[in-house]
Amino acid sequence: MIVLVVALLVGILIGLFIPISIPQDYSSYVAVGLLAALDSIFGALKSNLKGDFKIDIFISGFVGNTLIAMLLAYMGDMLGIPLYQAAVVAFGVRIFQNFGEMRRSILIKNKSFSKEEKNQ
Amino acid sequence: MKVKIKKPTGGQVAIAILLLVLGILMSMQIKSVRQSNELKNLEKARAIELAEQINQLRKENVNLRQQIYELEKKIKEYQDSAASISKTTELLKEELDKVKILAGLTDVEGPGIIITLDDSKIPAQPNVDPNSFLLHDSDILQVINELRAAGAEAIAINDQRVVSTTEIRCAGPTISINNTRYSAPYIIKAIGDPKILKNSLEMRGGIIDLLKEFSIEVKIEEASKVVIPRYTGSLKFNYVKIKSEGS
Repeated sequence: MIVLVVALLVGILIGLFIPISIPQDYSSYVAVGLLAALDSIFGALKSNLKGDFKIDIFISGFVGNTLIAMLLAYMGDMLGIPLYQAAVVAFGVRIFQNFGEMRRSILIKNKSFSKEEKNQ
Repeated sequence: MKVKIKKPTGGQVAIAILLLVLGILMSMQIKSVRQSNELKNLEKARAIELAEQINQLRKENVNLRQQIYELEKKIKEYQDSAASISKTTELLKEELDKVKILAGLTDVEGPGIIITLDDSKIPAQPNVDPNSFLLHDSDILQVINELRAAGAEAIAINDQRVVSTTEIRCAGPTISINNTRYSAPYIIKAIGDPKILKNSLEMRGGIIDLLKEFSIEVKIEEASKVVIPRYTGSLKFNYVKIKSEGS
């Protein structure tokens, strides 16, 4: 777990200090791709808590979702439809859902909750 | 993936690598977004700066005009003082004054007429070309032409002296006179015999009749004293030279 946090921080620092930034034209696609990647990570954290984490599912989801999200955004630009919004909504909702499930499972582990509170 | 495990497993390494890439991309993206925002702000600032520069240059122009005026006054003083010295220079100066009037380089006054032209006040009607109810460069040109034919000795449009190089030309919604753009109304001043000037414009089938057909607003007043300012443009000649003798 610590290894992962360190890896993320190191990545952020590397990105800050290398003198390259994303070209303006691709900026919006990269943003959507990042959202997809974030969603995959949240999904991984959730399944890790539940104990059914599978590395191949995680990696394929991470890479695949990112690519598809970017492709969608690009296609939308070509067709004149803001298709990237579909990705934003889908992944955004999923992130919140996963976060909610993680919260519940952590809190239920730590304390004994009544059934009423569990359903909130 | 459990917290207790100290040694990272293969899966963890894979995830760590992905996270590393994610981190790099994230910070690059943040940088790029910041840059684009900065660019937008720069563009705005540039526009504001340019607008300020234009205003500054306009002010400078006014000041320079004032300077020209003052320097010319000085020249005139020198000429006057020179004229008082000898008969020859006096004659020369008289000649110079005449030429200046002809070229429109002095402020002049005298009897004449003041014509005010404005676009039609009639509201636009369907199936009628709205252009025909607006003043055009050709209308002004015809009025000027008529005035000259009737012996006008000096003419100005909106206080722009009409000289030999003056253009009266359509420039979008405005009319360019001496490279300055004006929109309606146009006030044309002319010095000459007021009666003759007025009649030449108002004769039957003349230019005023034509303009009134398109309900253009025309007002002509005779005046015992019309003041017409001098030509304020530049007097630089790039191509024309006085022909030398024997060539």
